[in-house]
Amino acid sequence: MPAIIDSAPECISSDPGSEAARVDDSADFILQAPYQDCAGIMTFGPGTTWGPEGAGANGAYYAVTWIGIVFMVLVLVAWVVYENRRLLAYARSRRDGLGR
Amino acid sequence: MEILFAQVERLKDAAPAESLSLDSVILGEQFYFFTVVIMWLIHVGFMTYETGVARRKNALATAMKNILTIAVVTPTMYYIGWWIYGCNQPGFPPIGPNSADFTSVTCQTGIPWADVFGPNLTNNINLVFFLAFLLFSWTTASIMSGALLERVRLSAYLVLACLLGSVVWMLDAAWGWSAGGWMTLRFGFHDSIASSVVHGVSGAFTLGVLFNLGPRIGRYTRDGLSRVIRPHNIHMTLMGLMLIFTGFYGFYAACLVIASTAFPGWANIYLNPTTLGSIAMIITFGFAGGFTGGYFASRGDPFWTVSGGLAGVIGVSAGADVYAPTVGYLLAALTAVLVVYAGNWIVDRMRVDDVVGAVAVHGVAGFLGVLWVGIFAAGYPTGLNNVQSSIGGQLLGIATFVPLGFLSGWVASLVLKKLNLLRVPLEVELDGLDTAEYAPDIHVPEFAPAPDMFIEPDGERVPAEGVIADAAREVVR
Repeated sequence: MPAIIDSAPECISSDPGSEAARVDDSADFILQAPYQDCAGIMTFGPGTTWGPEGAGANGAYYAVTWIGIVFMVLVLVAWVVYENRRLLAYARSRRDGLGR
Repeated sequence: MEILFAQVERLKDAAPAESLSLDSVILGEQFYFFTVVIMWLIHVGFMTYETGVARRKNALATAMKNILTIAVVTPTMYYIGWWIYGCNQPGFPPIGPNSADFTSVTCQTGIPWADVFGPNLTNNINLVFFLAFLLFSWTTASIMSGALLERVRLSAYLVLACLLGSVVWMLDAAWGWSAGGWMTLRFGFHDSIASSVVHGVSGAFTLGVLFNLGPRIGRYTRDGLSRVIRPHNIHMTLMGLMLIFTGFYGFYAACLVIASTAFPGWANIYLNPTTLGSIAMIITFGFAGGFTGGYFASRGDPFWTVSGGLAGVIGVSAGADVYAPTVGYLLAALTAVLVVYAGNWIVDRMRVDDVVGAVAVHGVAGFLGVLWVGIFAAGYPTGLNNVQSSIGGQLLGIATFVPLGFLSGWVASLVLKKLNLLRVPLEVELDGLDTAEYAPDIHVPEFAPAPDMFIEPDGERVPAEGVIADAAREVVR
């Protein structure tokens, strides 16, 4: 079990495979079997089989997406504010140095 | 040869339909992936090119501006841009049930919470196709970058880059560079490799910004005559352009839709047939004609010769899917000649300090490219409704895109100007952006910089320091 959060969609099953398959060198089957009911497999993603019509996963992914959008906007604003302060401070120090 | 064909037929018979379909999907995924890799060279080129054009005191700030374009345009394109492209193709108003239906499907893959907008085992194409468009977006924003050199704030540029690269160009592409776009479905607008939707609109947007930004200090004499501010490394500039040219092959290829199970295997963005060879041929002949036109129109000026190559290619991009090589060659040469004159006119007569000639090379050449299709490639059924390309449809495109680009750039930069957030303070411009933003002369510090030189309107070379000091006093006054 994941230590903190299980972000994988529930369409992913935990099929351990079988010893017989491993002995028969059917590695592909063992690796892909847990995903056979899935389309989207992204973390917190809509997936295809999690909850009624994927609603549970959709809700989580909306939240994750909106966090990303808010972060993107904050970064742009921070860029403008940070650079403005730096440039004005530099200009002020130069004016002071020149005695203007 | 017959044995080879027979072998292929046997293999086709043996392969189940499901396997063929999977093969074509994987082929398409790999194709777009490698175009993305090649298109990175465009951005290496933009950085190298612009850094060479800048004076040494602004070199690092210039390079940083190009690199950080990627930091801001990528998320804005992901969260906003792909939605704009997918969901706004019918334009205003929607033009019919067929296009609306098509758009609704496209729209679903463009919203950031679509399940195909992340790892999805049933869709190999959406992400890598988005990435190809993302690289177009970086290019669109970077076109503006060089024109604003040496006096625009990094943050102002980044805001404008987001607007241009993730909103404006996505909107014009939705209207005129998509299978469901109203301009093509209704009027047969034909711009197959993005002469106007990328280059023309960027050039118009850039012109709007330049009106508000103003020229660099000392760029014009008190009488309004133009001085030349010499690049600090012209070799770097030329190399940068050659890198851009290399990346352009990836750009051209990524503009095609791969359809490996249908003859002829390729289509333009409007889903009309063409071949990879056709567009590769035209880009190569575009360079040849463009270099030639640029060289003679500028009387051998290295900057305009190489920029002429770029202008030539842009001028033949709109019809690159159908042009005969000779037509591409001649139109590229003509475009480059016109662009050299337009570039000098913009700088000398309009007194717009476009450092790299972006308005002429991208804007003028881009819209000329669209016009050329109306004159030399009319009659080609374009788009899902098979409306023929025509001079009317092309002029409609120009009449739509020029104001869209120009007004959005002008208004956005005006707002930034009113907030005192567009241009660096005078002291920063005088000392150099590297000194204020990063560190004094961080660029090759073991070699002392040569003094900057200006070339006066009469051709005399003079030290820049005195000219700039005089011009700065004028600004303060």
